[in-house]
Amino acid sequence: MALLASGNVSAAYIPDRDERGGFNFDNVARNEMMSQNGLKFKAAMKTGTTITGVCFKGGVVLGADTRSTNGETVADKNCEKIHYIAPNIYCCGAGTAADTEAVTGMIASALELHRLATKRKSRVVTALTMLKSHLFKYQGHVGAALVLGGVDINGPHLFSVHPHGSSDSLPFATMGSGSLAAMAVFEADFKEDMTEEEAKEIVARSIRAGIFNDLGSGSNVDLCVITADKVDYLRNYECPNERTYVRSKGYDFPPGTTVLNRRNFMTATAATLPVNQIVDIIDGAPEDVASGDAMQTD
Amino acid sequence: MSGIGTGYDLSTTTYSPDGKVFQVDYACKAVDNGGLALGIKCSDGVVLGVEKLLPFKMLVPGSNRRIAPVDRHAGMAGAGLAPDARQIMSRARSECANYKSFYGDKIPSKILADRMANYLHMFTLYWSVRPFGAAVLLAVRDPATGKYELYLLEPSGECQRYHGMAIGKGRQAAKNEVEKLKLGEMSCLEAVKEAARIIVTTHDEKDKDYECELAWICDDSGGEFKKVPKDIADEAIAAAKRALEDDDAMDAD
Amino acid sequence: MDYGVPAALGVAPELMEEVSTGTTIMACVYDGGVVLGADSRTSTGNYVANRASDKITQVMDNVWMCRSGSAADTQNVCAFVKNAVEEHGIMSGSDEPGMADVKLVANVTMQIAYRNKDRLSAGMIIAGWDRRAGPQVFGIPLGGSLEKCDFTLGGSGSAYITGFCDDTWKPGMSREEAEAWIRRAISIAISRDASSGGVIRLVTIHEKGAEKQMFEPAQHPLAYDELPVIRREEVVA
Repeated sequence: MALLASGNVSAAYIPDRDERGGFNFDNVARNEMMSQNGLKFKAAMKTGTTITGVCFKGGVVLGADTRSTNGETVADKNCEKIHYIAPNIYCCGAGTAADTEAVTGMIASALELHRLATKRKSRVVTALTMLKSHLFKYQGHVGAALVLGGVDINGPHLFSVHPHGSSDSLPFATMGSGSLAAMAVFEADFKEDMTEEEAKEIVARSIRAGIFNDLGSGSNVDLCVITADKVDYLRNYECPNERTYVRSKGYDFPPGTTVLNRRNFMTATAATLPVNQIVDIIDGAPEDVASGDAMQTD
Repeated sequence: MSGIGTGYDLSTTTYSPDGKVFQVDYACKAVDNGGLALGIKCSDGVVLGVEKLLPFKMLVPGSNRRIAPVDRHAGMAGAGLAPDARQIMSRARSECANYKSFYGDKIPSKILADRMANYLHMFTLYWSVRPFGAAVLLAVRDPATGKYELYLLEPSGECQRYHGMAIGKGRQAAKNEVEKLKLGEMSCLEAVKEAARIIVTTHDEKDKDYECELAWICDDSGGEFKKVPKDIADEAIAAAKRALEDDDAMDAD
Repeated sequence: MDYGVPAALGVAPELMEEVSTGTTIMACVYDGGVVLGADSRTSTGNYVANRASDKITQVMDNVWMCRSGSAADTQNVCAFVKNAVEEHGIMSGSDEPGMADVKLVANVTMQIAYRNKDRLSAGMIIAGWDRRAGPQVFGIPLGGSLEKCDFTLGGSGSAYITGFCDDTWKPGMSREEAEAWIRRAISIAISRDASSGGVIRLVTIHEKGAEKQMFEPAQHPLAYDELPVIRREEVVA
C-alpha cells in the first residue's frame, strides 16, 4: 500500500519484476562468459543499411536502401526500411530489423491513441522523446538506430537516434553501415533551403553512395517526402540494380508441369481422423473434469 | 454525534449519507480533549505554546515534551494523543532531512506543510489504518523569503495558514484571546507573555496539574526554532499566574 | 574461402560503440554572470557522429548544463533533472516560473549522478545565475561528487588545458574577458584533443537572462603550429 509515499522525487518506487514486464537481463553476464568460452549464439538479423534524411525548405526527405542481410547473406532484396510513425512523421530504421520494426510500430500506435485523445497532429519531438526513452530504458539492448523526420506545427524536423537513446537534431542525418558513404555526399553538397527536387536528388544520391560503396547496403532506393500538406512515399524511387538477365520464357509454369505418378482417395472415418479417442462431452457436468478426470484428445 | 450506532462510523472508507467521515470527526474529538496548543504569528516570528497536562505527580519536569523542532528552521506543537503527535513530528523530521539531502537546501515552508498534509490525509483513505488522533501547529521560517509562517495540520489532512490559532481543550476561549491581540504590532517577546497568559487563564481548574511549554522561531532566536529561554519563559509564566491570582483575589472580594 | 571477418560487414559503426561526447566543456564565473563553453564534436568510436552538436543544454531559464561522457546518459539525466526542478518550482509555488536556484539544480543532478553511478558515465557542469547567490558554477564529475568553483573543466580535452586555465584565470573578469578566456581555452583543447573539435559554443547567463553564441573554426584563436582556416569559397575564387 502506498501509505508512506510522499511527493518526494527521491523516494524511488521500484516495482517487482512481474509488474515491470519487459526484458530480463539476469543472464547477460552469464551469456557473455559462455560466448567468451567459445559457445556460439544465434545472431539476430541486422540490417546492414544506408538510411539518410535531409531538411529542405518546407519539409524533409527520408531515404533508405532496401537490402536486408543475415551475416553475409542477403535475406531480402527489397525490404522496407522507412516506417510509418504518424501521417506527418516517418522513421528510417537501421540495426536489428526486429527491433526497428517493433519500436517504430509501438510508437506509431501510441501516437495514434494520443492523437485520438488530444485531437491534434502528432509532433516530431513527441515521437523522439518516446523513442529515446524506450531505447535508453533498454540500455542499447534494443538495437535500433533511427533517422526520424516529419513536419508539425513547428515546421520540419529531422533527428538521428542512436541505440543507447541519445539523439541529435540535424539539418542532414545518416545512419547504418553505409552512413559514412552517405555522409560524404551531404558534406560535399548540402545546401540550406533546397527545393524539394534538390532534396530528393541529394538523398537518392546519398543512398546510392551506400548501395554501391557499402557491402551491407544494396538493391533499391526508397524515398519519403514529407511537407506540411502532403506525404509522398516513393517506394523503389530508383532501382539501380535491376536484373541483367531475364528468362525469355518467363517464370510462369502451366498447370500439370509436375507429373503426377499416383492418386489415392479415401473416405473420412473415425479411424482415419487424427483423433485417437472420442470423448462424449455432457452438458452441465463439469465435475468430472474438476475432479481430475482429464479430458484427452491427443 | 448523530452517526453513532448507524454503522457509518466504523471505517474511513465509508461516508455517512450526509457526507461525513465519522472516523475523522472522532479523531478531531481526540484532539479537542488533549491539552491546549496555541500558535501566534507576530511581526518578527512565531510563538508556540502548549498546556501540557500532567496525569501523574512523579513525572520529571520538562520531560515528554509536546513541542519539538523538526529542522533548524521549523518546529511543531502537538495537541491530542501524544504518541500520534510524536509520529507526525518524526515524519516531519524525515521530510526535512530527505529534502535537504536531495535538493541540498532547507525545505521550503509550503512544501513541508503540503507533504505533511498529504501524509496525514493518507491515513483517512484506507480501512486498515486509523486517522491520527492529533493535530499539530507548524512554525517555519521559509528559507527562500525569510518570512515566518504558522500552519495548522489536522487529522483530516486539512492544512491552513494562520496568523494565530489554538487547538485542544479550551481552544474557543484561547482563540478569542488570540483574536484580541494586535499581532502585526506585537513582537515575539510580548507574544510569549500573551501565550503564557492565555494558557494559564484558559486552564481548567478541574484538570490535574499542568506545565506550560513555550517555544519560538524569530529574529531573536536567530531564525531557528528553539525553546523560549528559561528566564523569559519562567518570567512570563510567573507573571501570568500572578495576574490570575490577583484576578481571583479581586473576584473573591 | 575466408574473407577475414565477414560477420562485421553489415554492422553499423553506431552499433559497435556507444555514442559519447569525447569533449571539452568548461564554465566560469565573471562579475555578474557565468559563461559556459563547449566544443561540438560527438563521436562513436573513431567516427564523428555529429560535428555541430550542442552540449550546452538548458535546464531552466537561468541554469544551463554542459554535458560530457555518454550522450544517451547525459541527455536522459538532463531531462530528468529538468523535470524534477520544474516540479519543485510548482510545488514550492515559485513566484518566478522558469527560474530555479542554481545550487538546487546542481544538488538534484549530483544526487542522480551519485545514486546511479554504477550505470552512468556522465560528467556535467551546472552553471547559472540566481537572485539569492548570483553567478555560480558547480562541477559534477564522474563519481557523482559536487564541487562549487570559480571555474571548472570537463571532458577528454580538459587534460590539455588545466595548466593553461590555472595559469591564466583571473577573478572578477568582465563578461568580454571571460568569454574570450573560454574561447581561447577551448580552441587550445580542440587543437590537441582528437575527440574535441568543430565549432565553439558559448552560453552567457546573467541577471537579464541567457545568451547563446557560436564560433566557427575560422574564428578560433590559432594555436601553436596551426594554419589558418581557408574557406572553400576563397579557394574557388
